Amino acid sequence: MKFKKTLAVICAVAMAVSVFSGCSSKGNTSSTPEGTASTTPSSEISNEPISFSMYYSDNATLPFKDDWLTIQEIQKRVNAKIKFEVIPIADYSTKVSLALNTGNNAPDVILYQSTTGENASLALNGAIVPISDYSNLTPNFNARVKEFGLEKDVERLNLKDGKRYYLPSLFDVPFYDGGLIIRDDLLKKYNLAAPKTFDELYNVLKVFKDKNPDSYPLTILAGPRVLFRMSMPSFGISVGKNGAGGSKVLSWNYKQQKYFSGAISDEYKQYVSYLAKLYKEGLLDPEMADPIDGDKWAQKMATGKSMATYAYYDQIGGLEGASTIEGFDLQMYPALEGPAGAHHQQKNRTGAGIMFPSSTAKRTDFDRLVKTIDEMFYSEDNAKLWCLGVEGITYTMNGDKINYADGIKNSPNGIYKTMQVEYGCGSDVTQMVWINKREMTKYDENYARINAEVEAMGDVIQSIPPMPLFDDMTAEEASTLQTPLADKFEIWIDAFITGKKSIEKDWDAYVKEMKDLDIEKFCELYNDNLK
Amino acid sequence: MRKFKTTSDIVLDIIIYIVMIFVLLVCLVPFIYMFSISISDPKAIINNQVSLFPIGINMEAYRQIFQYPNFFHAYRNTIFYTVVGTSIALVMTTLFAYPLSKSYLRGQKFAMKLVIISMFFSGGLIPNYLLISSLHLTGTVWAMLIPFAINQFNLIILVNFFKSLPEELEEAALIDGLDYFGILIKVIVPLSTPALATVGLYVAVFFWNDWFNGLIYLSTDQYPVMLFLRNIVNGTTMVGDAAGSADKSTIAISIKSAVIITSTLPIIILYPFLQKYFVKGLTVGSVKG
Repeated sequence: MKFKKTLAVICAVAMAVSVFSGCSSKGNTSSTPEGTASTTPSSEISNEPISFSMYYSDNATLPFKDDWLTIQEIQKRVNAKIKFEVIPIADYSTKVSLALNTGNNAPDVILYQSTTGENASLALNGAIVPISDYSNLTPNFNARVKEFGLEKDVERLNLKDGKRYYLPSLFDVPFYDGGLIIRDDLLKKYNLAAPKTFDELYNVLKVFKDKNPDSYPLTILAGPRVLFRMSMPSFGISVGKNGAGGSKVLSWNYKQQKYFSGAISDEYKQYVSYLAKLYKEGLLDPEMADPIDGDKWAQKMATGKSMATYAYYDQIGGLEGASTIEGFDLQMYPALEGPAGAHHQQKNRTGAGIMFPSSTAKRTDFDRLVKTIDEMFYSEDNAKLWCLGVEGITYTMNGDKINYADGIKNSPNGIYKTMQVEYGCGSDVTQMVWINKREMTKYDENYARINAEVEAMGDVIQSIPPMPLFDDMTAEEASTLQTPLADKFEIWIDAFITGKKSIEKDWDAYVKEMKDLDIEKFCELYNDNLK
Repeated sequence: MRKFKTTSDIVLDIIIYIVMIFVLLVCLVPFIYMFSISISDPKAIINNQVSLFPIGINMEAYRQIFQYPNFFHAYRNTIFYTVVGTSIALVMTTLFAYPLSKSYLRGQKFAMKLVIISMFFSGGLIPNYLLISSLHLTGTVWAMLIPFAINQFNLIILVNFFKSLPEELEEAALIDGLDYFGILIKVIVPLSTPALATVGLYVAVFFWNDWFNGLIYLSTDQYPVMLFLRNIVNGTTMVGDAAGSADKSTIAISIKSAVIITSTLPIIILYPFLQKYFVKGLTVGSVKG
């Protein structure tokens, strides 16, 4: 008895202590950095290289190398000594979250970040430097934004307090990097025209199926999310795991400029009916609900089990080389036209970028650091370095034309991949300035042609809808509403497509379930918190 | 009667053999398949020709992973954490377990309860991180080694083992003039090799497989090989903003298999050597002195 009491006291004390220790350290991290930017020119004069640490998100397909040409060259150019913390991409967010949440051992600079999700609340609580307050230190960034006409896009990245907390990567024209891919040799063989609408796609798949009864003509790389995000916009919606805007169940009405409950809309009903029809007639891969990894996907395509797919252009080449089918030829096509026009996955002209934890602002040479980063990634010359490498080594200029070095041009992996793996050029993590024309020189003419075609079609790639500006409380409320909605949605979309639930009969029940989970309130929350 | 029994014995034997062969296959086939994939020709894999045995021997996958900048480095780290971590853990656990096994020691029960409480409740990720970092362990190898020196589960195994040793042995040693440390080192530890081998194996496997602590406490050049393995096998599954770019790049299954084979083989090889202790260690309490 006595022991139990002692134990209770000890437990209580331990809990209390842990609560307080948590508080005090959080208090430390949330101390805001000095708001105004004071320029201290003294640190700039010094010739000592500036040294700082940097989180780098490492992708196993593109393993980071310290001796990459770009990494070596950039440090020379901006007189810096950078300690790269190379963190596997799968665990990157865990590591970043720990560093920002605890404020301990935070690096000076974090690459490949944005202020969606947890980062938004961390930013509002002072864990991240509001870099928009220091725009006088980022002249190169400002110049690129102006050059691409991205002022509005960048302004949209501001959080509720009107400040922006990272330097995003910038795109002049968004890429059409993936989409509908079909076996061109089969289209020719069966005398079919390339599909332009979803109905035509249905007919093409139907012919494929008739000629090859044991095939499933349409498959998807990675899982339904790729198909959904690439084809939903043509139906006027974008919902699901990778839905544009991250709401998972809402969609953006581009005409009225507000959100609507996409997951229970007629547009969605039409979309899911189309897929259910494909599924029922054996035109859609029955394994589509499982994640189809790259190898399985390649197997299906290479062995002729599937003839059409939604995937990325990068993957066509390897597949064509590997298949033993004679005349195997894949081609990518522009977005198909649906009820809402021909659209592709929405994209922003800004992407993940560079973030400074608030501890960095305490450095005496903070101004110099920001200037160095700005120079490093956004200046005209250095932006070119991250894309093309060093003139004379990786490429030469012939008037306006870029000529890649022979070793790169003739590499079996293609220019783009070789530049990435061998020189560190064209990595999402370090390249902050993307000029479509320049990028296209790394691919074959076919890819450039498709991109030009898509660009000429008008607004195929719409912008991602604006994020609502939540404060901590509403963000919490929104996420409590969102989780059950998104789960319910996933269960139903699978059931609808595979025919476990009938769209005709069970639609009302589905809508009722979603309404019971307050999808309308969730939508209102989004609309009320727009700018 | 006797004849009948023999037939049933035979039948039983056959059933046992069939079941055991099945179990063996369940364990072995994935490994053989993985191995075959890792040394097969990529073309054969993509055209779905590899079923169990390799087709068109090709060492490209191994060549490629050995070229990964940090693979060997990470491998060396893991071996270091496993060897040093296991040694520290064995010493510390033994030192703690021995006094806890003496019921006449004052406060022994209380200390045992403290141990058990911490088995069920822990501080959670962020408090743990703050603790380790305020002890200035982050970024040093000690962050990997010290916090895991005493695992409650292993401690309890050892305590129970020590309890089962006859007290008379220690009394005899006391009469012969040994102090408690002497008894522990000269009498108890030599008698406890089965239990120590068991605990050692548990700990070694833990250190070998651990990636999460490496990720959060250490810096890049200190990462263990399992983090590397995880990145290769799992690296492209991502959700959120980067989903688009992550779906774009895939890693060939031959490379995944090669990494799995190279990073799990050493710890698997350890089992046969320690197995004789292992079996004894688990059953040792039931053997009469």
